[in-house]
Amino acid sequence: MNKVLFSCEGLTMKFGGLTALNRLDLGIDEGDILGLVGPNGSGKTTFFNVVTGIYRPTEGRVFFDGKDITGASSQTVFEAGIARTFQRSRLCLELSIFDNIMIGNFKRHDLGFVSNIFRRKTFQKTCEEEVEKAIELIRLLNPELVGSIHKPVADLSMIDRRRIEICRALIGKPKLLFLDEPSAGMTHDETNQLMDEILAMKSDERQLTIVLIEHEMGIIGKVTTRCAVLNFGEKLCDGTYQSIVENPLVQEAYLGREVTEDEV
Amino acid sequence: MPNSRDFLRCSALAALLFTYIGFLLGAEEELSIAAYLLCGAGVVIALVLFDVFSAIERLVQANETFWQVLMLAGTLALIAVFHQDHYTLFLIGTIFIYSVAVLGINVQLGYAGVINFSGASFFGIGGYTAAVFLQNTSIPGSLTLPLGGLFAAVIGSLLLLPVLRTSGHYSALVTMAFALLMKVFLEVSEWLGGPQGLSLPPLEFMGINFAEDIVIMGKECSFYVKYDMVCLALLVLAFVFVRRVERSWMGLAMDAVRIDETAAACFGVNVTRWKITAFTMGNFVIGMAGALYAMMLSYINPSNFTFSDSLLFLSILLLGGIGSIWGVIAATAFMVVIPEKFQVVQEYRYLIYSAMVLAMILFRPSGLLPRKPRSYAMGGRS
Repeated sequence: MNKVLFSCEGLTMKFGGLTALNRLDLGIDEGDILGLVGPNGSGKTTFFNVVTGIYRPTEGRVFFDGKDITGASSQTVFEAGIARTFQRSRLCLELSIFDNIMIGNFKRHDLGFVSNIFRRKTFQKTCEEEVEKAIELIRLLNPELVGSIHKPVADLSMIDRRRIEICRALIGKPKLLFLDEPSAGMTHDETNQLMDEILAMKSDERQLTIVLIEHEMGIIGKVTTRCAVLNFGEKLCDGTYQSIVENPLVQEAYLGREVTEDEV
Repeated sequence: MPNSRDFLRCSALAALLFTYIGFLLGAEEELSIAAYLLCGAGVVIALVLFDVFSAIERLVQANETFWQVLMLAGTLALIAVFHQDHYTLFLIGTIFIYSVAVLGINVQLGYAGVINFSGASFFGIGGYTAAVFLQNTSIPGSLTLPLGGLFAAVIGSLLLLPVLRTSGHYSALVTMAFALLMKVFLEVSEWLGGPQGLSLPPLEFMGINFAEDIVIMGKECSFYVKYDMVCLALLVLAFVFVRRVERSWMGLAMDAVRIDETAAACFGVNVTRWKITAFTMGNFVIGMAGALYAMMLSYINPSNFTFSDSLLFLSILLLGGIGSIWGVIAATAFMVVIPEKFQVVQEYRYLIYSAMVLAMILFRPSGLLPRKPRSYAMGGRS
């Protein structure tokens, strides 16, 4: 059996009268790719935001890698080893590709005054090493981007921006990666391509665990090892892709119920 | 070293630029000044429209160090040309000092996104610190500069808590309140001379008395030449410092905080730390500039450091291009020289400033010389 990397118990998030997450229990094993599915507004992104410290949960506990990270700040959660991408791309558009990737790498950088301002020779050397590392990572996703590593991200297409966001999340070597609808705003082919790239990367980094929010069920079936379905902030079920697709509760949530004769 | 073609191009450009500035500074009749300004504006607009401007930018970027040397040489040449003209030399010194102060604002607003509507207050704190220390102690003039910076940074840290607890308009209001408070405090404080202000004894530095004219290479020079040299030295220091902050992980962390606090925090960036760092560093730089300004004026009072001056600092930053160091220097030169040279508009200068800022926001929102994508190397991109 694999070891449990992440778990949450009774996780609840209320915004005033609205319950966005309702007593969610979820466990993720190391090395899993968990697909998180559910209709719009079912609490998928809220789950990410609660875990990564953007919101404080109303109730419940979150454990990661043996530590209790309930209500921890975004910074602490990142330092513990959880990185994420955002549903609406949140890159720094006016900064270069390299800058954006480096934002995910501050854990390893010396941010001190002396080394940044006075030891410029040493700084220059580490900087060149970092460029090499960033290039290595970009090459996995799209080798064509290597040449424009010092150009602003604003010039890039949607799929390339997603790639850079994934690079930014991966460069700090997280244990758990949250991908919040990486296919939003992309065509079907582009989505497939990006997923293949993510799978290829996953086979390189066996330790990496991924949680993926995705609407396209075909993709979920292709890449995930397990799925969990949310509806109105509650978990309907979890299990393999096959088991959730066949689950009548899930079908009802997505397609609605068959109307019985009495109701007509 | 640049290749010979770039060498010639850069030199020719710099020569043209400084000849123009020289004529503008030397012009005395309002009609000729207006003609020079119109010519200058026409040339700049034509260059931008015909895309020559971006070619020049690329040329300068590729030969960064050489261009900086040229700018320094040109400035020294200007000072040499006007070596007897007290007034013009004073103007040049003022440009240097204001540039330093706006570079401080640039670290705060341009990098970390911390808005500061009390720039002139910190400028004033630096000035008053210098005055008090020079009057009451035997601390050498050179030491009062960092002391001015230190006092501005320390007093600025009082503002940190309210600025960090609020955001957007509210933190702008906090700094505005501080600016008004500071002005009133200076006006009523007996100890600081009240509305009459304080006078500073002439600066002495390494045995040189800064109040006496000097003779350099057989030529009689205004004592302002000495002040200009010190101001220029401070500007070069501030330039190098701010550049290095920008081209480092510190600058990147500040950019990340400015552009998207939430995303930055999700990547482990300590938002509070970088706001504090930027605010304090900025105030230190502004305070140093203020201390030197007080020494050059040799007499300061509260009306040197009003809320309008804080607005002027911010307008200069907007006009030059937020985050752009050369933009700051160019815009400062413009904003300082125009009202001084154009006495007719002196009364209306804030009207003109605001019109220019509005025009800039409408037609070229990234400023006169927009900030370039970061390169981490010094001395130009290879």
